[in-house]
Amino acid sequence: MTKTVLTIDDSRTMREMLSMALVQAGYRVIQAVDGVEGLEILKSEGADVVITDINMPRLDGFGVIEGVRANPDHRATPILVLTTESDVAKKERARQAGATGWIVKPFNPVKLVDAVRRVAA
Amino acid sequence: MTETQAPQGTGQRRELISFRIGDQEYCVDIMSVREIRGWTPATPLPRTPSFVKGVINLRGAVLPIIDLGARLGLETSAPTARHVIMVVKIGDRTLGLLVDAVSDIINLTEDMVQPTPDVACDQVKTFVKGLFALEGRMVSLIALDRVLPETEAEAA
Amino acid sequence: MDPFESIKATFFQECEELLTDLESGLLAMERGEKDSETINAVFRAVHSVKGGAGAFGLEELIRFAHVFETALDLIRSGKIEPTDEVVKILLRANDVLADHVQAARSDGSVEHSRSAAMLDELQTLIGAEAAAALEDGGDDEDDFGFTPVQMVVEDGGEAPAAEAEPPTGPGARVWRIEFQPKPEMYVKANEAGLVLRELARLGSTEVDVDGAEVPPLDQLMAEHAYLRWTIKLTTDQDEAAIREVFEFVEDDCVLTITEETGGETFEDEPPAVVPPQDEFDPAALLARLTGAAPAAEAPAAEAPPEPAAPAPPAAEPEGMDVAGLIAMAQKATTDAEPAAEPAPKAAPAAAASAPPSSTASAPAATIRVDLDRVDRLINAVGELVIQQAMLSQRVIESGLARSSAVALGLEDLELLTREIQDSVMAIRAQPVKSVFQRMPRLVRECADMTGKKVRLVMEGENTEVDKTVIERLSDPITHMLRNAIDHGLETPADREMEGKPVEGTVRLAALHRGGRIVIEVSDDGRGINRERVRNIAVSKGLIAEDAVLTEDETDNLIFLPGFSTAETISDLSGRGVGMDVVKRSVLALGGRISISSEPGKGSKFSMSLPLTLAVLDGMVVTSAEQTLVAPLSNIVESLTPKAEEVHYIGGQDAVIRIRDTFVPLIDVGRALGFRDTPLNAADSVAILVESEGGGKAALLVDAIQGQRQVVIKSLEANYQHVEGVAAATILGDGRVALILDVDALVTTSRRKSAPREKRMAV
Repeated sequence: MTKTVLTIDDSRTMREMLSMALVQAGYRVIQAVDGVEGLEILKSEGADVVITDINMPRLDGFGVIEGVRANPDHRATPILVLTTESDVAKKERARQAGATGWIVKPFNPVKLVDAVRRVAA
Repeated sequence: MTETQAPQGTGQRRELISFRIGDQEYCVDIMSVREIRGWTPATPLPRTPSFVKGVINLRGAVLPIIDLGARLGLETSAPTARHVIMVVKIGDRTLGLLVDAVSDIINLTEDMVQPTPDVACDQVKTFVKGLFALEGRMVSLIALDRVLPETEAEAA
Repeated sequence: MDPFESIKATFFQECEELLTDLESGLLAMERGEKDSETINAVFRAVHSVKGGAGAFGLEELIRFAHVFETALDLIRSGKIEPTDEVVKILLRANDVLADHVQAARSDGSVEHSRSAAMLDELQTLIGAEAAAALEDGGDDEDDFGFTPVQMVVEDGGEAPAAEAEPPTGPGARVWRIEFQPKPEMYVKANEAGLVLRELARLGSTEVDVDGAEVPPLDQLMAEHAYLRWTIKLTTDQDEAAIREVFEFVEDDCVLTITEETGGETFEDEPPAVVPPQDEFDPAALLARLTGAAPAAEAPAAEAPPEPAAPAPPAAEPEGMDVAGLIAMAQKATTDAEPAAEPAPKAAPAAAASAPPSSTASAPAATIRVDLDRVDRLINAVGELVIQQAMLSQRVIESGLARSSAVALGLEDLELLTREIQDSVMAIRAQPVKSVFQRMPRLVRECADMTGKKVRLVMEGENTEVDKTVIERLSDPITHMLRNAIDHGLETPADREMEGKPVEGTVRLAALHRGGRIVIEVSDDGRGINRERVRNIAVSKGLIAEDAVLTEDETDNLIFLPGFSTAETISDLSGRGVGMDVVKRSVLALGGRISISSEPGKGSKFSMSLPLTLAVLDGMVVTSAEQTLVAPLSNIVESLTPKAEEVHYIGGQDAVIRIRDTFVPLIDVGRALGFRDTPLNAADSVAILVESEGGGKAALLVDAIQGQRQVVIKSLEANYQHVEGVAAATILGDGRVALILDVDALVTTSRRKSAPREKRMAV
């Protein structure tokens, strides 16, 4: 069955890159432009994996993680965070909030798909 | 309209449409011709050379009509319903050429076309790229990119 | 386009938007709006530019954006105070960033000295220490270029370990991996099964599950993880590759990786891959399934015993591989579903997911549509309008009564057509913002170049106008602004002497007025020195020495060809074009431009353009048997001249007295060369028109047919510009009608009256 990945990023470039790599790898991709929209889409459409940026307007990546984990339907949904810097602090904070894994930007499509596969059943 | 197969020759094959202006025969590359339609009255444009008959509505586009005979220095014809407009594409532009009648589709090869001889006057040399003989008739190949007035200015 | 190039195009498109956001954010900060929301948005913009640039390996851009971002980050965290001076630096950095983007886009390069100077400034701002740290951090970010790779990836579902090629070569090594997840691992939605599956991709695995710690059912704790795996992995990969598989879970498990020396000594017996059923770890699975947070009180005691019970019938105790294990786990979790009661503490946490005190409202729902499609739609609607007009005319010609059902139906159709047209035009309408936002930079640069202090105030940025017009606004606005700064504003010293604020104000405003868009550029400078303007005009032979001009007329002399008031050719005027060229281009669009000024107080440029270049409201007239359209925007009134109101000056030039003024009378048919004989004014209709700069004239035509909205068709598309004709349109009878260029007619007729130009005389 085709897995659905929800990508949450305010950068259109980033969203398109994620989509390109993931669609090529056979995933279905839904895009959201910020955390609020991301949680809304997750609620209405669901997703097998969530990939979220950290720095976003309205609701940032940490908010997304908390929101996803607070939803009983998605407590077990894997979340990958996009970190631009190999910023240990941010990664750790995301982990504490419940992030499953991370992708360091700029990413290479193979690594991206690897990361998704590592968390998606 | 008939289709005429010119004698075999070597070189690149071309398809041409030949047409009459008065008693002379001319032709243009068939690839440039978009359609052929009957004469419809044109809206005259102010202060334009006499060979510009005006503009007509071609499915929403404003199409200038060039009286090709007048352009070639022949007598200006008063268009009648029997005249035809050849709609041709030249670069980005589409325009209508007013001619007496379209006569033939000609197949020939590039090497059959002779350069315009020196006897021709400047005007003819400007618009006629070359000549070739066909069943005893002489047909002149028109250089379409020269027929618009502004390109004439460039050539001058 | 290849997908990579297409994303790159998207990136540059997005950069434009980001740069816009960045600049408006910085300008807001300049105005004093230094709230965290604004600063965050500014940071995010640069951050995103850098992020995208990183993906495309745009080194120069990355380097600059990185330093810029660092400065903004320090402001964001309160380590740098965003003083006015700092914001000014940031604004200039914004300009340089824009240059870098442009350079990257066009494969060009930036002015190196400028960029380097800016980097220095930013680094000074950041501080030596942080800057040094930057040097290190700056480079390791470009490690991965984003290169499109054709990927073959197994279906995300059950990746069978069997498919992984068992390494056979001499490079094959055997690893012993001990892996014991902690409960935290499951809380983060990581799964042991997936880790094992990934491991299996590296080579061949033998998995041993130790369920010894699983307590009796009644003591099972959902938040505990009881299972432990020992994996024997034969692979040609090194330890790093293995560690990478555990990257996400490393901190949430106990992990030991050791290389087996002999490679044969894992276990003498073939390993029992799957434990007996009752040793399986349902708690871990349950925790994984429900994502039970440690806080979630879901004691196993409450869980029905079913989770453990379902013995997957297909599960054979022996010979089960990793994939089988996963399948079993999935089966178990599915069966455990009823037990997955929402944790009571989930609710408050859910509330926390609401947007935090953000002032930004959700953007209105929008879709992106290819412009081509909109243009096609607009063209089609244009045809519809013409077709509808043709149909109406045919119906009238057929003699049907106005009250007939057909005529009434047609009237409705006309209204509907109009409505569709308006709606379609609205699709393409855009706020002038996209043009306005380029202006602050221009003003900054002009100010720098002239040494003047300038504050730009913009109003009406959301005024909408058709896309066809938007594109044409930029040039005239640029010139008006340059002119206002270069010629309008005084130097700071002069202003001080005048008792004015040292900083001059230039106002750029857009508004709708009378179905047109009006752009005003005003300054609080010295105003036009009319005496000087007049002298220059006389000395250049533009006006007669004894010409009597109103103040307005004098001001508008600056639009005459060959006029320049700059005493010294400044950098600005040197590369710019004269206001006459600006005026000509505005006129060509059916626009008008004029200037008014008050000495000592300032000047105001005012430019108006039609809201669209696609349709026009016109008056359809007949002249010399030709049907012509006069733009309604030019028309003041129409009147029937009486013979005694028309006066001839010399042979053919006529004027008409309208109330107390004489205005030139232009016989349109003759002016366009359609007719030689003059029209008898008394049998004709005169249309009083106003041209640019307020010049009036009366156009003499045979008759007026009525007002109509017409679709503008370009003559230039297939032909060329024709003097006196603005464009063409197609009328109800299907024929082409010409749209008059009223300003050209008036100007030409005026020139004609002067002895210099005789061309118009027939």
